[in-house]
Amino acid sequence: MNLAGQAALVGIGETDYVRGSDQHVADLILQAAMEAITDAGMRPPDIDGVIPPPGFLSTEEIAAHLGIPDVAYHVSVLMGGASPTAALQTAAMAVTCGVAEAVLVCMGWNGYSALRPRADAKPTTRRMNVGPMGEAVRNVYAPYGLLSPAQQYSLYLRRYVDTYKLSEDGAAAVALACRAHAQLNDKALMRGRPLTREEYDASPFIAEPLRKFDCCVETDCATAVVVTTLERARDLPHRPVVYLGGAEGHPMPADEIINRPNLLELGIHRAAPRAFERAGLGPHDIDVLEIYDCFTYVVLLQLEALGYAEPGGASDFVTGGTIELGGRFPMNTHGGLLSQGHCWGLNHVVEAVRQLRHSAGKAQVPGAEVALVTGYGDLGDGSVAILGRDR
Amino acid sequence: MTSMFTPDTEWLTLEWHQATVAAGRLCMQRCSDCGRWRHPPRRYCAECFSSESSFVAVAGSGTVESYAVSYRSLDPAWQERAPYATLVVELDEGPRVLAVTELQPSEVAIGRRVDLRIDARSDDFAVLWADPAT
Ligand SMILES: [Zn+2]
Repeated sequence: MNLAGQAALVGIGETDYVRGSDQHVADLILQAAMEAITDAGMRPPDIDGVIPPPGFLSTEEIAAHLGIPDVAYHVSVLMGGASPTAALQTAAMAVTCGVAEAVLVCMGWNGYSALRPRADAKPTTRRMNVGPMGEAVRNVYAPYGLLSPAQQYSLYLRRYVDTYKLSEDGAAAVALACRAHAQLNDKALMRGRPLTREEYDASPFIAEPLRKFDCCVETDCATAVVVTTLERARDLPHRPVVYLGGAEGHPMPADEIINRPNLLELGIHRAAPRAFERAGLGPHDIDVLEIYDCFTYVVLLQLEALGYAEPGGASDFVTGGTIELGGRFPMNTHGGLLSQGHCWGLNHVVEAVRQLRHSAGKAQVPGAEVALVTGYGDLGDGSVAILGRDR
Repeated sequence: MTSMFTPDTEWLTLEWHQATVAAGRLCMQRCSDCGRWRHPPRRYCAECFSSESSFVAVAGSGTVESYAVSYRSLDPAWQERAPYATLVVELDEGPRVLAVTELQPSEVAIGRRVDLRIDARSDDFAVLWADPAT
């Protein structure tokens, strides 16, 4: 069975992206979920499938707090930042096979407050499920001084920069494009704080080659989407956004970085060809790119994996305005993790839906018909979703 | 200097550390059936799927395949050392390990030859240090 064109994204919800929310992390998630259900023209009893965030709040709790009386399907997707985009494939499978009629995909966290709680805040005991990354970080990376993802990923980003003798121009172009797009987004954390190349160049290194402005912004936020069959979607309020195809991929080994035969081969290198084949599309059929941007250089590697450039060539691809609004492949039109906020890439999915509904406001890509979303997570897992405006 | 984080490991990771500390030199897991090195330690061989293996001493020299240069660390003991390099060392036998080093980041380069020495924190955990190859 090919999932292409069987399922659709019909509802989206999104909180603000803030540093230090007044709300409990559970409330953020539930607010986004209810907003997505309402946006879909549904009520909670219309939902019978739930994919919860990786941690923080369970399907059981989500159903009870929202008033979903009958959960017929639940699955957790634990691929770090690749989870939400991979979850779309799982949701599409569920509704296409009929094990559920409408699946709620949720993401949300206290990405800022967990590390830097407000003095007056009561700490939450709720944690993310760190999955295989927890073991690797504790046993392998932390004893060698590598506690943060920026440090761990720099183990192969250094190799990338050295192998292809990359200047910082490509990474800077990604950071500046995301920041420029965030200026058009009312919910972006970095709205009102434009970034210049001079400021980028002056920003301190966190872990070479990553400067401060190569790193995404920690935020408290939540997002949600509702997936149902395309047939049902056509009776709902918004023009459906069709799941044209997608895939996930895992590097080998996926549970640690340094013993991969090729340090630069990530999960998305396996996922991308699968996704394009299933959708019957190629890189040049895409109108909008929403690329997982935990770090700028990770974006460059993904663009190469997707076929937009040869290995080492993404820096040239992203310079000259290609990925900015008005360019051939506008990217991260919401500001991305780098400048809107870090919602594990479900915010990329939400933005893709807005683009394909033609409701993205000042960031709208004129006539957008097809969008591609990626996820990247844990130690290199990848996911891809190709979405299209229903004709 | 405040002490660096040392985890309580278990299972195969613990076996690797214990073998290395007991031998006083770096030991790596090797398939008893086909001879393929496995690292990090694995239950089954990815080549022949054998579950048989032992920890075998290696020469302890290798080549820098990549490295991280950290300017900030959440671990105060590491923050005192910043900026510091963490190396990915490909052993001459094939598998890769992480290593810390007294080398300054500017002295580190991909392709540089290094020798590894054992810093046993306990019977159950050793950290590898890389020195310039002699
Ligand atoms: Zn074997």
